[in-house]
Amino acid sequence: MSEDDLAKDLGPLAALTIGVGTMIGAGIFVLPRQAITEAGSFAVVSFLLGGGIALLTALSASELGTAMPRSGGAYYYVNHALGPLFGSIAGWANWLGLAFASAFYMFGFGQYIGNIVGMPDAFVFGPVVVSSVKLVALAGAALFVAVNYVGAKETGRLQNVIVVLLVAILAVFTTFGALNAETANLPASKGFGPMLTTTGIIFVSYLGFVQITSVAEEIKDPGRNLPRAVIGSVLLVTVIYAFVLVAMSAAVDPGFIASLGDDQIAVVEVAALLMGPIGAAALLFGGLLATASSANASILASSRINFAMGRDNIVTPSLNEIHPRFSTPYRSIAVTGLLILAFIAAGTVEALATMGSVLHLIIYGLLNVALIVMREADPADYDPDFEVPLYPFTPILGMLTSFALIAFISETIIALSVALVAGAVLWYFLYARSRTGKQGILGQYVLSRADEMPDAAVSAASGVQPDGGDYRVVVPLANPETEKDLISLGAAAAKANGGRVVALHIVQVPDQTSLAYARDHLEQFTDAAESEQLLTDAKADAEDFGVPVETHTVLSHRSFEEVFDAAESHDADVLVMGWGEDSHGSPGRAESAVDEVAGDLPYDVLVMKDRGFDPSRVVLPTAGGPDTDLGAAVARYLRDQFGSEVTLLHVADDPDEGEAFLEEWAAARDLEDAETRVETGDVEAAIAAAAEDATMLVVGATERGLLRRLVTGSLVLDVVDKVDCSVVLAEKERSKSVLERLFG
Amino acid sequence: MGDLLERVVLPVASEGDARDTCEAVLPYVADAGGEVVAVHVVEKAGGAIDKAGVEQREEYAADVFAVVTDACDDAGVPCETEVVFATDIADGVFDAARDHDASAVAFTPRESSRWLDLLTGDDTRNLVKRADRPVLAFPAGDEPGDDDDDDEDGADPTASAVAADDPPTVEDDDDE
Repeated sequence: MSEDDLAKDLGPLAALTIGVGTMIGAGIFVLPRQAITEAGSFAVVSFLLGGGIALLTALSASELGTAMPRSGGAYYYVNHALGPLFGSIAGWANWLGLAFASAFYMFGFGQYIGNIVGMPDAFVFGPVVVSSVKLVALAGAALFVAVNYVGAKETGRLQNVIVVLLVAILAVFTTFGALNAETANLPASKGFGPMLTTTGIIFVSYLGFVQITSVAEEIKDPGRNLPRAVIGSVLLVTVIYAFVLVAMSAAVDPGFIASLGDDQIAVVEVAALLMGPIGAAALLFGGLLATASSANASILASSRINFAMGRDNIVTPSLNEIHPRFSTPYRSIAVTGLLILAFIAAGTVEALATMGSVLHLIIYGLLNVALIVMREADPADYDPDFEVPLYPFTPILGMLTSFALIAFISETIIALSVALVAGAVLWYFLYARSRTGKQGILGQYVLSRADEMPDAAVSAASGVQPDGGDYRVVVPLANPETEKDLISLGAAAAKANGGRVVALHIVQVPDQTSLAYARDHLEQFTDAAESEQLLTDAKADAEDFGVPVETHTVLSHRSFEEVFDAAESHDADVLVMGWGEDSHGSPGRAESAVDEVAGDLPYDVLVMKDRGFDPSRVVLPTAGGPDTDLGAAVARYLRDQFGSEVTLLHVADDPDEGEAFLEEWAAARDLEDAETRVETGDVEAAIAAAAEDATMLVVGATERGLLRRLVTGSLVLDVVDKVDCSVVLAEKERSKSVLERLFG
Repeated sequence: MGDLLERVVLPVASEGDARDTCEAVLPYVADAGGEVVAVHVVEKAGGAIDKAGVEQREEYAADVFAVVTDACDDAGVPCETEVVFATDIADGVFDAARDHDASAVAFTPRESSRWLDLLTGDDTRNLVKRADRPVLAFPAGDEPGDDDDDDEDGADPTASAVAADDPPTVEDDDDE
């Protein structure tokens, strides 16, 4: 088997059971009684209507899923198509919706346990009275969260068995129901209004299919299996719901369901009547498994949504830390678990079910909109294997019915949901907008056609664009002599990226002195006038380039470490620093700090060995690689800002091949106008020779750990010391650091 | 240990584990002039939902490998990395060892307890019992295995901008 086969090991049955397993627990085992009581014979219609609405969205979800089989499913599609504002709404709605639904499943679980072991109605803890169902629900939720926190892979496999077993039990049940069915038994219908309200409540039993898309990246051959699983699970559960509902209404006397006591479970009592105690036991057992597997799958699906949200910086990526021992996303599972427990503690069965329903209806509506946007904008990489039939009618109808159904749900729940959506919008503007960099297809589409689009659309689109791209160049300054040069380099980088310069004055404080004390007695550690002057100069120099600038004073015991911390806390995209004995105090003491930092580098770093800032003739040696890409970017900044002549240097055994490599490399990096110079022989000698004619040498770190070598004085490139011109060393950021995970 | 360390497979489970393993093993491999293949096994459920998504586990593996490649750079040991997907950790390690024709598998047992082993599977035992080539267990360094790299949440030591409205809270904690 290939690597890919092993990584994507969810087969068609497994994918189907995720959907069926998540849905069936709620639909059959918890809701029928309420549906029949409130809608009468139209309960069946409620379930069919719910299935129809779900099916329309399932078609859209299938198309989006085959085009983008990524972790996070519905959130990912909405964020990708509609941008991070709607992405925030969809992400939060999906996450909280699953937590509400899980809390609801656990209530069902509590009822089943109560029926099996028999418990008093409520327990009294001092002044608090907790119903026994709620208590078991809380215990059950804690158990399932704990299991997933530790990560037992067996739970996943059990799911397949459980679902197959459930379908078998229900098949027997409906057969008995059909044999005993009489139309005379059907309760009177209660009309369309109650039927639609009921549909809103029971829609919580149609949430599962979208969870399949959350794990889309793990499905084998998603082009085939994903639509089959998504659409198949909706069709299958709709049919099962309909049969079970017909059996329950037609096979027992009218009024039977309504006459049941509060602690009795409708489907179990009907089974007892039709099939005897064995039937009742089978249904009890089935209900227990079904509600448990629903909750379990939902908890796992939430962690995928968290991951996708964290990757886009809609929530802090630190939420998705993997446990070093259990290999589970333990923080995400713990937070989801706490939400579930809180919802169980605060909610009622009906409130939890409808919250789950409404939040998912919002997502379903947005999913259909996302599909329309993808089809209309038709980006080059959008190539779904499955296509929605009857486009655009299907997604438009899917969107309208999803949003319309919300209107039939109780006003309190709608108000709560609106508050959550408003919260997600606020979340976007207050938290996520400055962090996420991802622009939606819709925003790109509107803004790229700004001339043809109505002004209102354009200003709306540009008004909500993410500005996580706000590019921040952090320049720590200690030495007034190098201030102007470092700021010039930083400003060129900021200008090229439409960003800003953040100038930091690093003030050394002796180890014995607390930073808090030093902050209040700053004058003892630095000449206030000098510090002021340094930052004022920095500001003036940066403003000469027309880039925004902010200045801060940073107190520091150990220079390097705090420089890195400061860059981190100021959200640096690039750190521009000087290098020399007096740039940041004694480098020898920074080793421990650099050890920590060198493993991960959360921002690009430019280190300048300043021998006078003269960017008129820049030499950039390259052998390819990410760090020389950064070097290329620096060369571009200098060229665009100072009109530098750029020379690219490559050392190769075969000059023709070297020339070809350089030309292709330069063209890919917008440096076609640079001169090329191909040398053979010793790399360092070639660089030294090229640098003789140059005023500035830009070197990409050829391997990781440049910083460490720099600080410990073991830099391999001796050439940097030998040449007479200024040298800029470039090291590219590497994924995310421990610090970033901690501070988000 | 000469030939034994010619091409060593290092199973690495977390960043902390990678650090411990590299610290313990790399000096010997460097002395012997050998090379290492770092392997991170992603435990798959084999046809059911996994503990975490594949993309998420791959990102995690990249973080773990960054520790290894940095350590190898410093030790001057050539290094390859591979993410292996397998339903069983030990099987995944030995499959990779076969694929890379490794001379040995070397690891540092992580601190554990019966309870933890029961919950997560006793990988140390499995690695030793199912060995189809030499398996070397190295003791972790002096410091006990620092598994979590995130448990200390260092307070932000930088003091930004001396704001004028800062309340004068002088803590004279430096009166020595």
